Amino acid sequence: MKNIPTNWGVVVLGACLLVYPMIFSGAFYLDIGVTFLLAAISASAWNIVGGYAGQVSVGHSIFYGFGAYCPLLFYQLFGWPPMAGIPIGIALSIAVAILIGLPTFRLSGHYFSMATIAVAELIRIFTGTWDLVGAAIGLQGPAVARGWWDLTFRGELPYYYIFLVVLALLLFITWLMEQRRFGYYLRAIKTNERAARSLGVPVLQTKIKALALSAVFTSIAGSLYSIKTGFIDPESGFGILVSVQMVIIAALGGAGTLFGPLVGALILIPLQTATNTWFGGGGSGLTFILYGGIIVLIARFEPGGLFDLWDRIAPKRWRRGHAA
Amino acid sequence: MKRKPFLFAAAMAATTLLHVGNPAAAAETVKVGITWPLTGNAGAAGQASKAAAELVAEIVNNPHPELGDLPLAKGAGLPNLDGAKLELILTDHQGNPSLAQQLTTRLITQDKVHVMLGAYQSSCSFTATAVAERYGIPFMVGESAALNITGRGFKWVFRGTPIASDYARTYMRFFDDMKKAGKKIDTIAIVNENTDYGTSVAESITEEAKKANIAVAIRIPYSASSTDVSAQVLQLKDKNPDVVIFISYTADSILYMKTMKNLDYKPPMVIGDDSGFSDPSFVPAVFDVAQGVMNRSAWAVGKPGSTTYKINEMYKAKTGRDLDDTSARNMQSFFALIDAINRAGSTDPEKIRVALTQTDLKPEQLMMGYQGVKFDDTGQNILAATYLIQLHGKNYQLVWPEKAADAKLQWPMAGWAK
Amino acid sequence: MLLLQVVVGGLLLGAIYALFSSGLTLIWGMMNVINFAHGEFVMLGMYVALLVVVWLGGGPAAFGTAAAIALFVLGVVVYAGLIRHVMRGPMLAQILSTFGLALLLRYTAFWIFSANFVSLPDTSLSGTINLGGILLPVAQLVAGVVAIAFTIALHLLLTRTNIGSRLLAVSEDRSAAMLMGIRPDRMQALAWGLAGCAAGIAGALMATAYPWSPSVGETFGLIAFVVVAFGGFGSVPGALYAGLIIGLIQAVSAFWFGPIYKDIIVYSLFVALLWLRPQGLMGKA
Repeated sequence: MKNIPTNWGVVVLGACLLVYPMIFSGAFYLDIGVTFLLAAISASAWNIVGGYAGQVSVGHSIFYGFGAYCPLLFYQLFGWPPMAGIPIGIALSIAVAILIGLPTFRLSGHYFSMATIAVAELIRIFTGTWDLVGAAIGLQGPAVARGWWDLTFRGELPYYYIFLVVLALLLFITWLMEQRRFGYYLRAIKTNERAARSLGVPVLQTKIKALALSAVFTSIAGSLYSIKTGFIDPESGFGILVSVQMVIIAALGGAGTLFGPLVGALILIPLQTATNTWFGGGGSGLTFILYGGIIVLIARFEPGGLFDLWDRIAPKRWRRGHAA
Repeated sequence: MKRKPFLFAAAMAATTLLHVGNPAAAAETVKVGITWPLTGNAGAAGQASKAAAELVAEIVNNPHPELGDLPLAKGAGLPNLDGAKLELILTDHQGNPSLAQQLTTRLITQDKVHVMLGAYQSSCSFTATAVAERYGIPFMVGESAALNITGRGFKWVFRGTPIASDYARTYMRFFDDMKKAGKKIDTIAIVNENTDYGTSVAESITEEAKKANIAVAIRIPYSASSTDVSAQVLQLKDKNPDVVIFISYTADSILYMKTMKNLDYKPPMVIGDDSGFSDPSFVPAVFDVAQGVMNRSAWAVGKPGSTTYKINEMYKAKTGRDLDDTSARNMQSFFALIDAINRAGSTDPEKIRVALTQTDLKPEQLMMGYQGVKFDDTGQNILAATYLIQLHGKNYQLVWPEKAADAKLQWPMAGWAK
Repeated sequence: MLLLQVVVGGLLLGAIYALFSSGLTLIWGMMNVINFAHGEFVMLGMYVALLVVVWLGGGPAAFGTAAAIALFVLGVVVYAGLIRHVMRGPMLAQILSTFGLALLLRYTAFWIFSANFVSLPDTSLSGTINLGGILLPVAQLVAGVVAIAFTIALHLLLTRTNIGSRLLAVSEDRSAAMLMGIRPDRMQALAWGLAGCAAGIAGALMATAYPWSPSVGETFGLIAFVVVAFGGFGSVPGALYAGLIIGLIQAVSAFWFGPIYKDIIVYSLFVALLWLRPQGLMGKA
C-alpha cells in the first residue's frame, strides 16, 4: 500500500483546486474550472475501463447521455427536482453496461470499440426521433430554482465544489481499486488476457464490473452536466464528440494511471478555452487547426501520454514507476 | 503516488493568460457581445451572419446618408450617446450549448458587454439567453427557430425574427390566395430535417394546414446531410401532392433538386422554407433544374438604387456573396437592438431593456419586409412577416404578396423545362 | 417499379461506400490501426476534384486520377510522418493521433475553402438513362460501376499479385516478413497510399453528384466504420458486400419506414450482427 499522506504532489494539487475559486473568482474563470472538473470526472470514469482494463470504449456517451437526460426528463414530466433523476440514470447505465459488455467482451480488440460507437449512435439517433424525451430540440431544466434542491444556482461557485467532491470521491475509489485484487485483475487482463484467464482471473466478470463502475461515474458526470447547463439535446448527450473527448483527455494525460485523466484535462481544457478565446471570434477554424495539431504532436512524440514525459524529466526522487 | 505541481502551475499560468477584450475601452463605445457558430456544421451560416453584423457596425459607425430612413445610418455612431461607436466582440460557440453558456458568461463578466446578440441554433440560444437573464443583460435572438425561446417568462430576451407559426400562417394565406385564383391545392407534403428548426416549422405547418382544411399527404422527417435523398423523392412521387414544402439545410436542398430532376419528379409547386434554399450556394448549383421554385424570405434585394440594393452591394463588396435571408434577419434584429440603445440614450441595461419594450419601428425604417418591429410581453416581434419569392433565371424575385411583387408568379413551376 | 428504383439507387450508393471503406479495412486489418481521419481523406478527394475542374477544366477521368494520386501521396506522407511513429505506442496513441489528424485536415480545408457548400460544375456525366422505367443518373451509374471495379481491383491486387502477397505477409507476421527480405515500412506505406487512393477516388465520384463542405468527412467516416465492422476487419470483399448491403438497407428502409429510421435500422442490424457473428460477414474469427 502506498502512503497517501506523505505524497506532497497530491496535497499541493488538492490545495490548488480548493483555493482556485478564491483566486479566480470571476464567473468566467469559475466556469472554466467547472468545465475542467467535469472533463476530469468523465475522463477518470472512462479510465477505469478504458485505461486500467484496456478496453477502449469510444461510446461512453451512452452512459453520459443517460445520466444527462434523466434529471431533466423527470423534471419535465413530473416536476421532480433534477437530482432525483441521478439514481435512475445510474441504474439505466449499469443495465446497459451489462447488456453491451456480455456479448462484446467475449471478443477482443476493436470489436468492443466498434460496438460502443454503434450503440451510442443508435441511441443518439433514436433519442432525436422520440418526442417524449424532447426529440431533436432537447430538454430544459428549471429556469429559476424553486429551492436549493433544484441545484440551479445563480453563480458557478456551488457547482465548482460539488464537482470537486465528486472528483475526489471518484479518484479515491479508483485508488482503492488500484490497491485491491480487482485492480490487479484489471492490469493482468490489460497486459495479457489469455495469460490472465489461465491464471484463474474471472476475465468476463471483471471486465463487466469495471465497465459498470465506469458507467456509474460517467452517468453522474452527465447528470452534473445537464443540471449545471440546464439543457440537454441528443448531440450534447450522446454525440460521438462527447465520447471522443473522454478518450483524448485520458490518453493525453496517460491512460491507466490514477491522475492521468486529471492531467489531460488540465492541459486540454485550458488549451481549448485559450484557442477559442483567441481565435474563435475570427472564425477561420484556426482554433481546431491548433487543437488538432497539438494533439497530433503529442501523440507523435509522447505516445504514452504526458505522464510518461513527466516520469522521464521529473527529478528522480519524485518519480514513481507506474507499471500499472 | 504521482506529483505534478509543475504541470499544474503551467496550466494555471495558461488560464491567467486568458484575459480578453480590451479592459481600457475607449471612452464611449457600446459593446455588443455576439455568439454564433463560426465553425462546425452550421459554420457557413454563422460566418455569413458575422459578416452581416460587421456590416451593421460599419453602417452605424460611419455616416451613410444614402441609406434613407434606416435608423442610425445617417450620422456616425449613436447620436443620443454623443456619437458612441459600436464595438463588436465576436465569439464562436461551435454549436455547443455548454460553450454558448460559457462564452456568454465571458462576454458579460469579462468583456462587460452592454448587450448580447446570438445564437443561431436553438439549443445554444436556450443556454445563452439563460445566462443573460441571470445577469440582467438584454439578449437579442437574431434567428432561432424553437418556439419557446421567448415565452419562458424571461425579461431580458427579445427576438426580432418571425417564428415558425408566422411562416406557417403565411403559407396558408398564400394557398388561400392561390385557390381563389383557381389553382388546385388540396394536398401538401412536408419534408423536414429533424433538428429544432425543421421540426418546429413542420409542426407549425401541419397545425395550420389542419385549420385551413388542407390535407398533409405525407410528412417526411429526415436527418440532415444525408448522402442520398432518392427515397424521400420517390415517396413524394408516390403520393403526388399539389405542393411540396422543403425545410432543409443547404446540402440537402441542392440534393433534393438534383434528385427530383434525376428521378423525373416535378410537383406543381415546390416551396423551400428559406435556410438551404436561401444559401448563396443554392442558386448556382441548381438554377437550371429548379426554375420556379418558391422560397420564403423577408429579404429582397430590390431595385437598383433602393436601400436594400445598396446594403446588398456593400455586403457583396465585403464577402463576394449576396446577402442571404438568414443573415439579413440577423442584421434587422441587430438594427432594432441598436435603435433601442440609442433611444435609451445610455448603456444602462435596464434602460435599454425598457427602450426595447417600447420599440416601434415602421416598415420604411426596416431593411426587411416586416410590417414593423414591436415586441410583445414575451419579447417576440409581433409585426415580423415574410415574403414569398420565386426563382426566375438566376435570381429570386418577389412574387407574393401581390401588392409588393416585382414579378409575376409562375404556376406550375417550370423545373428543368425551358 | 418504385421499389426497384430504390433498390438500384441503394446499390449504386453502396458501391461507393464499399470503395472508400475498402481503404479503411485495408489498414485496419493490416496494421490494427483505426483511422479516424478516413472520412477526411474522402472530403479532400472531393476538393481535389473541384480544384482540377475549376483550374484545369478536366473531365471525370482527369479529376478522378488527380484525386487518386493526391490522396495516395497524402496517405504515404501520413504514414511516414505520423503513423509509423505512433505504431510503437499504445492503441490509444493511434486513436489520439488519427483523431487529431481528422480535426487538422477538416479545419485546414475549412480555412482554405471556407465553410460554404460547393458542388462540382456539370460535367460530361450529366443526364439520365431510362432503363425500362428505371431512371439511372449517369453520374451515379458511372460512379457505382467504377467503385465496384476499383474495389475488385484492390482485392485482386492483394490476393493475386506479388505486391499483394508481400503486403499480406507483413500483416501476418512482421518479423517473419522481414526475414524474407520484405521491408515492412515500405509495404505499410503502400497500404496507406492505397487506402488514401481508394478514398480519393470515392471522393471524386461522390463529388459528381453531391454538394459538400469541409465537415462532410464526419458522415463518411461513420459510414466507413460501420461498413468495415459489418464486413469484417481487413476483408476487402467483406467491405464490398457490406457496402452494398448497407446502401441497400438504407435506401429500402428510408423508402418503407421513412428516412429518419434508416440509420436506426442500420445500427440495430449492426448491433445484432455483433451479437450473432461478431467477426463480421467475412472476417476471421
